[in-house]
Amino acid sequence: MDRAALGRVGPPKATPSLRLAHLDRDKPLVDAARADAARFEPLYRKYVAQVYSYALYELGDHHDAEDATERTFLAALANLARFEERARPADGEGASTFRVWLFGIARNAVAQRRRHVRRHPQAPLEAAADQAAPNDVEASATAHEAGAAAWRAVGKLRGDRRRAVILRFVDEMTTAEIAGVLGRSEGAVRVLIHRALRSVARDLGEPG
Amino acid sequence: MTAPFADRDGEIEAFIVDRYLESLLARQPGDPDGIPAALRATAQRLTSELPRFHPSFRFEERLALRLAQAAAAMRLPVAAGGENVVVPLADRRSPPAAGEPARTSLVPASERAPVPRPVVIGSVLTSAALSVAGAAFVVWRRSRPPTDPMRRAVRAVSRSRPV
Repeated sequence: MDRAALGRVGPPKATPSLRLAHLDRDKPLVDAARADAARFEPLYRKYVAQVYSYALYELGDHHDAEDATERTFLAALANLARFEERARPADGEGASTFRVWLFGIARNAVAQRRRHVRRHPQAPLEAAADQAAPNDVEASATAHEAGAAAWRAVGKLRGDRRRAVILRFVDEMTTAEIAGVLGRSEGAVRVLIHRALRSVARDLGEPG
Repeated sequence: MTAPFADRDGEIEAFIVDRYLESLLARQPGDPDGIPAALRATAQRLTSELPRFHPSFRFEERLALRLAQAAAAMRLPVAAGGENVVVPLADRRSPPAAGEPARTSLVPASERAPVPRPVVIGSVLTSAALSVAGAAFVVWRRSRPPTDPMRRAVRAVSRSRPV
């Protein structure tokens, strides 16, 4: 590969950097929060439901989901100075590298919470009391039988297949964003979702 | 040799499905040709049937308050005195002329003459050069006999007086 192709020789081209500067849709909010931590709230309000939803699907308990959500946003606020915008033209105009970064933190918080739950299992009485929790995923979904069936099928998926499906269909992320959150290539994410869809289709008894 | 072809077919189908899912995400469903009916129906079901959850209002407001407190704590050190801020000191050797912007020295640090500068010791500002010179003067002065006859007399009296 010649050096010119690496962009180290010749005058810098202004167009790509201008495009990059406008790629992250959260850039104005992130810049404001970086200048003054008190202005983090709009980012929090924008993403709290998405992060909570992701955590609830992953952990299946609203107390655990709240704990993971709280850890996620406190960590994001504390580490906002370290966030680096890495948007690429391939990510599309509406991409948010901040959201990818935030969900990366959420993923770690969920994993941490899961480890905690494994080490400190609830007493049967507490677990029974939580069964009737109004925000419980399956209890809420049962109100809509179709939704419950879909949730059960997704819940049977393992690891990154399940995460990829949740990020795609619940949090409505693009393939590039999911790849960023899971730390995989876009091709790998496509294959993950494809296999997950096949598995869910079999589970739901879809003809085909 | 069939496995690699099967893998490639799977990747191609995964790519086509991905394009279709992106179009669903954009609320502009694309051409579903080439996508198995079961996958298409499943994608549509997951898009419309998987519920989104929202935390309770109480939790959301409590966390908002906690974040505001954390943000205030992050701002406090600067407001209290800017301990982490480095304040540049003016070079007094060559003050800039009126209207001239403040300038920085272009001479490398190793070639610059030592300039008496404030040193931070235990959060107290002091002058190292002044302290050393003062101590040296006291030692030198004490070691030398006084030249003034009156001072010699005073010193002799003070030495002869019992303590």
